[in-house]
Amino acid sequence: MAELRSEEMVLNVGPQHPSTHGVFRLVVTLDGEQIVDADPVVGYLHRGTEKLAEDLQYTQIIPYTDRLDYLSSMLNNYALVHTIEYAMDLEVPARAEYLRVIVMELNRVASHLVFTGTYLLDLGAMSPFLYAFMERETIVELFNEICGARLTYNYMRVGGVKWDAPNGWLQKVRDFVLHMREKMRMYHNLISGNEIFLNRVKGIGVITQEDAINFAMSGINLRSTGINWDLRKNVPYGIYDQFDFNVIVAEHGDCLDRYWIHMKEIEESLKIVEQALDKISEGPVLGKVPKMIRVPAGEYYRGIEGSRGELGVYIVSDGKDKPYRLKLRRPSFVNLQILKKLLIGQNMANMIAILGAVDIVLGEVDG
Amino acid sequence: MSTEDNNTSDTVKATPTASAAAKPAAKPAKAALPPDPRVVAALANGETIKTALNQKLGVPIVVEVSASKAVPILIIDKAYWVQAVQFLRDDALQSYDYLRMFSGTDYPNYIEIAIHLVSRQHNTALYVKTRTERDLAVVPSLTGLFQGVNWEEREVYDLLGVHFEGHPDLRRIMMWEGWKGYPLRKDYSPFEDLDERGGNV
Amino acid sequence: MEMKPALQLPTIEYEGFTPAESAELHRAGVIVNTLEQVKAWARSNSLWPLTFGLACCAIEMMGAGASHYDLDRFGIIFRASPRQSDVMIVAGTVTKKMAPLLRRLYEQMAEPKWVVAMGSCATAGGPYVRSYSVVKGVDQIVPVDVYIPGCPPSPPALIYGLNKLQEKIRLEAAGKRVTG
Repeated sequence: MAELRSEEMVLNVGPQHPSTHGVFRLVVTLDGEQIVDADPVVGYLHRGTEKLAEDLQYTQIIPYTDRLDYLSSMLNNYALVHTIEYAMDLEVPARAEYLRVIVMELNRVASHLVFTGTYLLDLGAMSPFLYAFMERETIVELFNEICGARLTYNYMRVGGVKWDAPNGWLQKVRDFVLHMREKMRMYHNLISGNEIFLNRVKGIGVITQEDAINFAMSGINLRSTGINWDLRKNVPYGIYDQFDFNVIVAEHGDCLDRYWIHMKEIEESLKIVEQALDKISEGPVLGKVPKMIRVPAGEYYRGIEGSRGELGVYIVSDGKDKPYRLKLRRPSFVNLQILKKLLIGQNMANMIAILGAVDIVLGEVDG
Repeated sequence: MSTEDNNTSDTVKATPTASAAAKPAAKPAKAALPPDPRVVAALANGETIKTALNQKLGVPIVVEVSASKAVPILIIDKAYWVQAVQFLRDDALQSYDYLRMFSGTDYPNYIEIAIHLVSRQHNTALYVKTRTERDLAVVPSLTGLFQGVNWEEREVYDLLGVHFEGHPDLRRIMMWEGWKGYPLRKDYSPFEDLDERGGNV
Repeated sequence: MEMKPALQLPTIEYEGFTPAESAELHRAGVIVNTLEQVKAWARSNSLWPLTFGLACCAIEMMGAGASHYDLDRFGIIFRASPRQSDVMIVAGTVTKKMAPLLRRLYEQMAEPKWVVAMGSCATAGGPYVRSYSVVKGVDQIVPVDVYIPGCPPSPPALIYGLNKLQEKIRLEAAGKRVTG
């Protein structure tokens, strides 16, 4: 009887591939359809933001933070300005705080919608992508009205926000919240019960609690394992302690749980936006800030709950108007480390499902 | 003793004696500012942890205690880096089991590695730092304790040139193998070795 | 045969044909044009781009391809493989690490091929022009036909750029060289 010769194949899931996560390369060693080894290669979008920041004044760094996690630019902006305000002990006017919360939570909704659309697109479904982008267009148009840009907003400033909401904007946001709640039913009808979808993601890519803590994961990946850790509640920043919302925690840690947390978090964010719309008052939107922003000498770190996890900014300052060192703690970069562990033993089809559920944005992974 | 705030209080939180914050040393041209109470408390916490660490490991490994707002900072001798972090993670009173941030900074005389630990159980935070020389920068790797620093250490290796001993897979992550130089260092110049470095236009 | 009113286009006077012949062609419903123009018409109205979204511009490209700013109405269908695409829309920052792969993908595309540099990073390095790891403009690697400024360019801007590319294809087929 002839010997069956088999060998492992190295397949390069290259930096250019159709699932729209960006330039991410995964070198998998395959034994037939099973993955034996997986080696993620990142750095194809490394733009040197941290090095550039050492030559820029603090306000000039804000546009660069937009481009890290480009799906949730408001949250990135906030991470930087919040750290600077924390370091300088600055007062932010109330209206600015509420506007910040509104745009940040709307941005979280937009980012989760892109996750829904692109995750389903990776799994082979075309329609949810078009539906998700329809809602996202409405949000992006709202942002266009308030700050002039569709994707990279550059909206927050140290001490507040740059532009006040134009007339009627708050009412439009309120209408959008109601509209979005209706649409969530449509999304659930379309996706959540779909048998093919459930078969592809249920029980796949399970992360244990010990692994999640050991791998320093944060955000939805951490909460999908059952650990209740949301920086908006555990290490409150801004005015988040005034809002009443739930932290969604799942049990199994698989891809389906992560999808569900994304969908439920959209609803929680809409709740927060509504409460902020009720509480917002008139007033200035930019506080009293010195003309030249100088962070006192020392080091400061603040992390906020970004849409993918803990987005932190670590500033080492020597008292000048430019940072001595600006380190960005990027959630997608840290969360992606678990990919190798999750992929070994899976087959090729599950690889895309698992990679999509980790929810990375390459601008954030490489920075 | 402390690097940024000039509070030199030696108060330990647990003792019943009245804790008196020492007046800061007068700055040459400004009036003395009252010490920030958060920083005072943080320094006190830091001292407690320092005592515990030194006691556990038997050697005085904590070089400095300082604070950033409300969080104590401990600077640890790099020879005991792994043991110290392991103690902080495993000891029941400390239980700093969640690592929030890992970073490296290039100073004129040394390179500093800083991590931010959180104890979910006790709801406390702590910065722990270590220093190494700039030429031949070697620091023991924490990947045995926290697998989440694997890529962070690779990034510091790539951009700052710190070699992490015991790291399972230390290679460049952002730039490619064959790239010369460590971009985040202050003395990095993109114009050196123009021919040897590929693609430097 | 009876021609429907909709088909009654104005008579085109062709060079080299007498007016009687032009009228006869018009009556028979025949149009005369060069093969190059026909090819250009076909190519420009079915541009299939390679999905080459690198960074933030990719999201606006996706937004342009989604239902509000539909790109499908222009015949633009995104293809994942370079062998099956006509145009490479470089959307995002090109880093030095990515540059050789970009060149390889460009070479894998079959002729005729075009390149659109979308966004300021692809045009000239963008906000990252002083970075150590960014290629200052994708035209240092591949020849570019259309530059679309913006950071990121909104979907209408991308559509305008693609329309300009379509015009360029048709003009170049007529023999005019388009440089600016």
